[in-house]
Amino acid sequence: MPSLQTRARVHVTTISDRCELAPGVVLLGLHAPDLGKAARPGQFLMAIPPSGAAAAVALGIYEARADRASILFFVCGKRTSELSTLRVGDTLACSGPLGNGFDLSANPRDVAIVAGGAGIASALLPAEALIAAGARVRLYYGARTQALLVDAQRFADAGCELHAATDDGSAGRRGYITELLEQAQDRPDMVLACGPTPMLRAVADVARRFGIRAQLSLEETFACGVGGCWGCVVPLTAESAQAPNFPREDRGGSDVVFARVCKEGPVFWADELRW
Amino acid sequence: MGQETVDLSVQLGSLTLAYPTLMGSGCYGSGQEFAPFVDLSRIGGIVLKSVTRQPRLGNPTPRLVHTPSGMLNAIGLQNPGIDFYLEHDVATFADRPCTMIGSVAGFSIDDYAYVCERLAARREIAAVELNISCPNVASEGETFACDPRLTARVVGAARATTDKPLIVKLSPNVTDIAAIARQAQDAGADALAVVNTVRGMAIDVQTWQPRLGNVTGGLSGPAIRPIALLAVYEVARAVTIPIVGQGGIESVSDALEFFLAGASAIGIGTANFIDPRIPERIVDGLAAYLRQRNLHSIREIVGRANVGFANAHQYEGDED
Repeated sequence: MPSLQTRARVHVTTISDRCELAPGVVLLGLHAPDLGKAARPGQFLMAIPPSGAAAAVALGIYEARADRASILFFVCGKRTSELSTLRVGDTLACSGPLGNGFDLSANPRDVAIVAGGAGIASALLPAEALIAAGARVRLYYGARTQALLVDAQRFADAGCELHAATDDGSAGRRGYITELLEQAQDRPDMVLACGPTPMLRAVADVARRFGIRAQLSLEETFACGVGGCWGCVVPLTAESAQAPNFPREDRGGSDVVFARVCKEGPVFWADELRW
Repeated sequence: MGQETVDLSVQLGSLTLAYPTLMGSGCYGSGQEFAPFVDLSRIGGIVLKSVTRQPRLGNPTPRLVHTPSGMLNAIGLQNPGIDFYLEHDVATFADRPCTMIGSVAGFSIDDYAYVCERLAARREIAAVELNISCPNVASEGETFACDPRLTARVVGAARATTDKPLIVKLSPNVTDIAAIARQAQDAGADALAVVNTVRGMAIDVQTWQPRLGNVTGGLSGPAIRPIALLAVYEVARAVTIPIVGQGGIESVSDALEFFLAGASAIGIGTANFIDPRIPERIVDGLAAYLRQRNLHSIREIVGRANVGFANAHQYEGDED
């Protein structure tokens, strides 16, 4: 996955619009001269809490246009809680765009995007890019309940075929979204996924059974978010093109190397992970 | 008035830093990772991630937990080993616009001496920090910094390998840090980094599992700032060599406390994870503070905390 990190910098953005998509789910539009232009599908940014009271928060870039990007997040702690209090006109500094995004270079023609909960934040940019390239895109969207299937219409409007599942059956199928994927009559040629780790593992299993490749956008606790601290690593086969520069000979008899989710990732090929 | 130039340069042994700010080892990669977000020419130097004799995969995951007012980490010294490091990494440090300080970790006195000698021989490396206080490697890592005699032996062995400035990083997880500081000084350290992380742990109450793959970790961030500040204060009264004060520094006010307690320079680690612009803000803030008080150099405030107890101590000394 091509390195895109040279475009990154600190962007001091202004909140251009704010929408509470569901209770505790916030979409913030960020006015920034060139953050949107620089962002690629699957990249993230580190949002710097204005109070400076806690570490920066890694958030997927939801939308990206010339002078506007957006973040979509679930309030789940004190840092996202602080971000949720921002209003139109407030300032939010962000480092980014960061990480290596989805690799769409193989020009897949029929793609399933699996998004779980807050993972939807990283699903829109690849969906739009694929549709623009003429691909068929199916969104498999899972959430706890109907109200948390946020912004689904946006994906339908963009041209995605929608498949939904909820834990409580209030919308779509009751159960896991990966069960719906598994029942697909016509198999896609590639899967992209973003969501909680158990869902990503299930996606990897389904893709293996389908005999197709999957790209997973991993969720991990970050400290620096830029590759400096080696805190967010994941085991990867040393043969991966994404394996960091590390000695190949003596690895304790193992062919596994730890790659940084924030730097080499956050998107990895499922069949190269050794987790 | 007001725009008068102030001198922020400091001296660590024979090493001159243009600014008194060092980026803490393990927090800042090799600097390149942060280059898009910060003007590296406006920080004093980068203490590189520790390197060991053999490659190390590091600890199992998870390696990080955010905690109230700080974070726990247990990275486990993941590094490619000194051979690979010298061949692939060190040459890339030559074009960095700030001072590059190597960091050495090990599991025996021989390890430290061997890696220190090879690293210090490279012209890209201006000084070497001995990380004798990593709390996250099974048993041996922190042993050296917790034992005055082992501290003396490991520092002495490293000292014998190089004339480059040697900074020894001390552990806060000890009863008498001043005694260990004196041993490091007497064995030839040029400066002391005070302190490394404080040991800690966190448990997930849903799964009953420790939240770090390594079970225990090192706590950093503002949670440890008063602990670190006291350590700097105690060490400053015990030694004459300069101190790099570090532990939860996030603002110019935090930094000033450490200078006043006796630090000649400061280390910034976890604060970079809040906002990569913090080191530059601290440099600007220090300059403004000095100008406001008609001071010319940061060196004028080192160890100037006005402590009654210290005066009493001095008085007792005079009576002897």
